[in-house]
Amino acid sequence: MASFTGIVEVLDPIGMHARPAGQIVKLVKESGLDVTFQYDGTESKANSALRLMAMKVKTGEKITVVIEGDDEGTANGIISQIQDFLKG
Amino acid sequence: MSKQMKGLGVGLTAAVGTVHVVAPAQPLPAWGRSSIGAEAEMDRLRGATAAVVADLDRLAAGADHTTAEIFEAMKMWLEDDGLLEIAEEHLNEGSDAAGAIGQAFNAFAAMFEGDAAFEERIADLQDLSRRVQAHLAGIHLGLDLPQTGRLVLVGEDFSPADTAQFTPAVVGVITRAGGPTSHTAIICRARSIAAVVSVTDAGSLVDGQTVLVDPVGDRVVVDGSITDATKPLEFADTDAATLIPVRSNIGTAADAKTAAATKANGVGLFRTELLYLSASTQPSVEQQAASYAEVLAAAPDGPIVVRTIDAGSDKPVPFLNMPHEENPSLGVRGFRLIVEHRQFIADQLTSLEAARKSTGREVWVMAPMIATVDEAAEFAALARSIGDFKVGIMIETPAISMQVDRLSGVVDFVSIGTNDLSQYLFAADRMNPALGALLNPWQPGLIRMLAKIGTDGAAAGVSVGVCGESASDPAFAVVLAGLGITSVSASPSQVNVVSNALASVTLEQAKAVAAAALSGTDAASAKAAALEALAATR
Repeated sequence: MASFTGIVEVLDPIGMHARPAGQIVKLVKESGLDVTFQYDGTESKANSALRLMAMKVKTGEKITVVIEGDDEGTANGIISQIQDFLKG
Repeated sequence: MSKQMKGLGVGLTAAVGTVHVVAPAQPLPAWGRSSIGAEAEMDRLRGATAAVVADLDRLAAGADHTTAEIFEAMKMWLEDDGLLEIAEEHLNEGSDAAGAIGQAFNAFAAMFEGDAAFEERIADLQDLSRRVQAHLAGIHLGLDLPQTGRLVLVGEDFSPADTAQFTPAVVGVITRAGGPTSHTAIICRARSIAAVVSVTDAGSLVDGQTVLVDPVGDRVVVDGSITDATKPLEFADTDAATLIPVRSNIGTAADAKTAAATKANGVGLFRTELLYLSASTQPSVEQQAASYAEVLAAAPDGPIVVRTIDAGSDKPVPFLNMPHEENPSLGVRGFRLIVEHRQFIADQLTSLEAARKSTGREVWVMAPMIATVDEAAEFAALARSIGDFKVGIMIETPAISMQVDRLSGVVDFVSIGTNDLSQYLFAADRMNPALGALLNPWQPGLIRMLAKIGTDGAAAGVSVGVCGESASDPAFAVVLAGLGITSVSASPSQVNVVSNALASVTLEQAKAVAAAALSGTDAASAKAAALEALAATR
């Protein structure tokens, strides 16, 4: 099991709100992988939309996404989809 | 003689039905310690959340797109891993299911606190918490109405969540509180459900009684029959010219089509908020222009009066930053948004100008929530620099009502929003059901204010329309014409009946009816005097 890391930026004008948080959790659960978000010294598993919202990431701020998995392509695919969800 | 109770009638439809009292929600029981163990509590919790998911599915099926999206998000939170982890910790420490889930929701509500963007989500979490705990305690929060029968619902007042659950069996509605502009009243008028609101004695009605709901008589009659219903003044159906133009209020292209099938002479109020309230990003000028062109093309013949965005922190537009306010109706709303969002209002006017050109329609634009002549002048200059519009303002604040004479040469027209003018004139929150009686348009304080605006507008050469709910009442529309109001705008469902009334009177007769209304010293005597004077013209 390897660990892959990517950085995503919240471009949505209302920040990390209910809709993108829900989309991200759905994607993470479907992937079956362990995904963690790191932001401003805090860390949260991306299996809970409420926890992601509670991080209160604002527009223009960056999140580090850490994915535990075997396949770099799959991990990069997930990271780019997460970035898409955060475009608003 | 059967017992009768006075209230404020809504609409012209009467109905007889069986009383169905909707009790106020019971309080939730206090949290306790588990006597059945964590695992059994977890099973109960899963059962309750599944039931709430099913309830939300039912609600989402009948809701508009934005509301349905919120219900979808709420369903997801009920099954949120983070939430259930916290609930499980509390179960393992001995809490009962209600305490565990209540504390888990509270934990997230606390995390969301202090951030304006999450204020509404906190309310959603608390609503979910209440729903799950109600299921655990076996308390019904829903109305659970049958599909068939003839029910007259009796309650304190009904929220949008309540009215969304009305079934075809609901033929009448009686509320103890709430006024003529309450949510209940607006829904009942639109759906032609017989309704009487502000019935002080409604608490004495009990399940199973037969009642007549008689809105024209402003009363409820226990054991009354439909033949006892007060007859509305009937006006012959005619296409004769109306004393003043009768326009229609619309919010969507579908409304515009409905209005075009009526006798409406143009549109007196096109509410533009719907285009923005459900958008997460600002639509481009091209998108806005296309949406407006669709509405303008479908609208009834005549001028189309478009109100620029009327949003505030209680009606937030997602892509405009609208911080929480203590008193949103007294806050940064309507034209006041220009300080922070001038470009947004300019874009809206640019889009309207493009739609005006592409459809060849006559477009008037007006700004809501104007309090000073300077604000009116600022809006007029902006609108005239962008498009070939007639330019006007809404009259909702008492402050601008006192300066209509000074609008000469500043704007071409004004349009009175009687719902908000009443709210600000009487210092009576439209959302507070206890204050409904103050928002009755027959209140002498309002009628005198309308008379002053009509007179001052005529002297200033500024045309004066009325687009509030009050103009949907045919008798009140005659009063307005007599007060010097130069056009009215009604809900599409009321345009024809208002048109027939205004085609049946002369200006002299309307002035006599208005004088009678002005002689009343309270709402009931003003209305009675006006109806008597109107009957005398027939």
